[in-house]
Amino acid sequence: MTHAGVGGGTDITARMMMVQAPGVFKQEFLVVNRTAGSGAQALQYLASKPADGHTIILVTQTHLLTQLRNPNLPQFADLIPVARATADPQLVLVRRDSPFRTPQDLVEAGKQRSLRFGGTHVGGVDHVTIFAFGRAAGIQRPTLVPFRGGGEIVINLVGGNIDTAVVNPGEAEAQLRAGELRPLISLADSRLDAFRDVPTAKELGMNVTGYTLRGFCVLKGTPEDRVAKLEQGLIEAMSGPIYKSYLQNTGQAPDSVAGRQAWAAQLAEFHKDGREALQALGLLRG
Amino acid sequence: MEAFLGGLAILVDPYVMLMVLLGTVLGIFVGALPGISGSTTIALLLPMTIAMGPVPAICFLGAIYCAANFGGSITAIMVNAPGDPSASATALEGYKMAEKGQAGLALGMSAVSSAIGGIVSVIVLIFAAPMLARAAYSFGPPEYFALALFGLSMCAAIGGDSPIKNLIAAALGLLIATVGMDLTTGVERFSFGIYELSDGIGFVPVLIGLFAVGEMLDQAARRVGKAQIIHLDAARVPGWAEFKKCNRSIWIGSGIGTFIGALPALGATTAALIGYNETRRWSKYKHEFGKGSIEGVAGPEAANNAAVGGSMVPTLALGIPGSATTAIILAALIVQGVRPGPHLFNEQPTLLYAVFASMLAANIFYLVMGLYMAKLFARISLIPPAILWPAVFVLSIIGAYGPNQSMGDVVIMLVAGVVGFLFRRTGFSPAPLIMGLVLGGMVEETLKQSLIIFGDDLTGFLGRPIALALFAVTATGLLWPVLSRLLRVARAARA
Repeated sequence: MTHAGVGGGTDITARMMMVQAPGVFKQEFLVVNRTAGSGAQALQYLASKPADGHTIILVTQTHLLTQLRNPNLPQFADLIPVARATADPQLVLVRRDSPFRTPQDLVEAGKQRSLRFGGTHVGGVDHVTIFAFGRAAGIQRPTLVPFRGGGEIVINLVGGNIDTAVVNPGEAEAQLRAGELRPLISLADSRLDAFRDVPTAKELGMNVTGYTLRGFCVLKGTPEDRVAKLEQGLIEAMSGPIYKSYLQNTGQAPDSVAGRQAWAAQLAEFHKDGREALQALGLLRG
Repeated sequence: MEAFLGGLAILVDPYVMLMVLLGTVLGIFVGALPGISGSTTIALLLPMTIAMGPVPAICFLGAIYCAANFGGSITAIMVNAPGDPSASATALEGYKMAEKGQAGLALGMSAVSSAIGGIVSVIVLIFAAPMLARAAYSFGPPEYFALALFGLSMCAAIGGDSPIKNLIAAALGLLIATVGMDLTTGVERFSFGIYELSDGIGFVPVLIGLFAVGEMLDQAARRVGKAQIIHLDAARVPGWAEFKKCNRSIWIGSGIGTFIGALPALGATTAALIGYNETRRWSKYKHEFGKGSIEGVAGPEAANNAAVGGSMVPTLALGIPGSATTAIILAALIVQGVRPGPHLFNEQPTLLYAVFASMLAANIFYLVMGLYMAKLFARISLIPPAILWPAVFVLSIIGAYGPNQSMGDVVIMLVAGVVGFLFRRTGFSPAPLIMGLVLGGMVEETLKQSLIIFGDDLTGFLGRPIALALFAVTATGLLWPVLSRLLRVARAARA
C-alpha cells in the first residue's frame, strides 16, 4: 500500500518490486493507493488492518513527518521496518555561472546572508534536509523557496531564482550533463561513482547526509517469523533483474536495497532530524 | 534532414503504425470516459510497454495522450461531463450547442480544431523545441504570477451575462483554491482535520459535479421534461461556412496552447481556459458566447490539443515534464533507457522525429475517426433523459472516485453537484468558478514564492521584463472599456 498517486515515483517503486514478488512469495500482490494527507490516510488504512504481515506499507520520510505532526496517527514506534527499496542520495547544486565555485564559497556566502534554497513545501522532507545542512555547515538559517516538485526546482535553479538546491541526481540529469548545473557537495555517505570528484559533506566536516528513502514497513505486533520471511522475500524480489534495471535506469543507487537493520537505523536518524527541524521551525504542536 | 526522413520512415513501419492506431482508438475511448484520464491509462499501461522497444512504446503512449485530449470533448459536449479535465472549457459552449441540437456541429468542430491545434504544435515542436525549452527557464514564479493574473482578469467577462455574478462565482473558486496544505507555510487551511482535504480540493470532482450532476439535478427538477429540441440537425457535421467562422479562434487557440503547454508548470486545462477567454475576446460574435458558440468550442479544443505538443517540449528537451501525463511518458522513456535532455536532439534525433511523426499520425487518425463518428456520437442526444442521466450519474461517481481512489472526492463531487444546480437556478455560471479554482492557487502560490525570492520586496517585479509586459497586457485588458471610450471622445472632439 502506498500514499502516492498512480504513476508517481513511489507508486512505480512499489509496482516494480511487485513484478517479481509474487514468484518469490507464491502469492498475489495488490497495490492500494491511499493518497490523502501526505501519508496520513495510508497510515490509518494500515492501522485498520490486522498486524499479520499481509498489509505492507511503502514508507517514505514524508510519513515520518506526517506522524510527528499528527500524534493520533500510528507513530514511528508503531511500525516495524522490513526492507529498504530505494536510497537516492542528494547533491547540493548551483547553476553554471554561480559565484559559488567551491563548497567554501557557498559556506562563506551563507554566513553573510541567508541563502535561498529550492525545495518542496515548508515543513517537508527537503526542508528538514536543508535545515540540517544549514546547521551542520554553520551558516545562517537558509531561506526555503518552496516549489511543487523536483522539475520546478531545477528550472528555477537554472533560471537563477534561487541560489542553490538539494536535488537527486536523477531529477537534474539533463542539466548536469549539459553543464547547466554544477554539483558542489554530495550528501551521500561516501563519494558517488557518477560524481567521483564531488566531496561529501562529511569530508568537509559537516555531519549531515541527505537521501530520498523508500522502503517497506509492517504494523507493530506482526509475528517475528513473518517479518523475517518478508524481509528475506522482499530483498530477493528486489534483487531480480527487473528491479535492478529500474534502479539503474532511473539513476538511483544500485545498493539501494537493504535489510531491516540499515533501513531502521536510517529511518530513526531522519525521525530525529525531522523532530528537531520541525520544532525549530515552529511546526510542531505542543 | 537525414534524421527527419529517418523519423518519417517509421510511419511506413506497419508495427509502429498499428501501435499508433491502437493508441488513438484507446485514447479516444478513455478520454471520453470521465474518471479514466489519459494519464491514468498511460500509467497503467506503462509496464506493458517495456517489452515493446523504445520507438513503438513511445509512439503508442504518445498517441494515447493526443487522442485522450480529444476524446474528453465528446462527453463534455454530449452530456456536459468533461471526460478529461482539459475539456472543461469545451463543455461551456459545446453542451449548449448540443442542447440546441447542434451536437454534430460541435463534435465535428472539436475534431477539426483539435487536430489542427495538435498538428500546429507538433510542427512548432519540430522546429522550435530547443528554443522554446530555453524560454521555460526564463519563466520563474514572478512570470507565472503575471500570467495567472492575466488569466484571472477575464473572470468578470466569461460565463453569464452579469459581471457581478461572475465575480462572485470567481471569488468562490478562489476560496476553494485556498483549501489544503499551504506550500509556503506548511500549514493546512480549511481542512478541519479531514485528511481528504489536506491536499486541497481536487479539480476533477468539482468539475464533474458542477457540470454533469448539476445538469442532471436541474433537468430532474423541471416538472415537464425539457422540451425535446428538434434533433434533425443533430448529426450534421461542420462545413466550410462554420470552418471559416472559426478560423481565427483555431489559430488563437493553437498559439496559446503551444506556448502554455511548453511552460513546465502549466497544462492543457489552463491552456483551454485561457484559450476560451481569448477566443471570446477576439470574436466578432461575442453575443453567441454562453449560448452555444461554435467558436467557443474551436478555441479551447485547439488550445488543449496544442498544449499536448507543447508539453512535450520541456519533457524531451529539458527532461522536465509539463503535466501528469508527460511525467509518466518521461518515466516510460527512462525505463527504455532514453535520457531526455538537450543532448537528445544531437544524440538520438531519429527517435525524436519518430515521436513527432507518430504524434502527427495520431492527430490525423483521430480527425478522421472523430469526423466519422461524430454522427454516431451525436445520436447520444436522442437517448431519452430518463435513461441517459442515471447512466451519467454512475459515470460521474466513478469519475470522481477514479483518479485518487477516494470516497472523499465522491462527496466533494456530490456537493459540487448541488452547487452547480443552485448556480443554474440563480443565473450563475460555473465558468468563472473554475477559472478561480484553477488559477487562484497559482496566483497565490507564485506571488508568495516571488516575495520569498525578492526578500519581501514588491519592487522586485520591476526587474522582471516578462512579468512587466504581462502586467501591462492585463491592465490594458481591464481598462479597455474606459480607454476605448476616451479614444472615441477624443476622436469625436477632433472631428
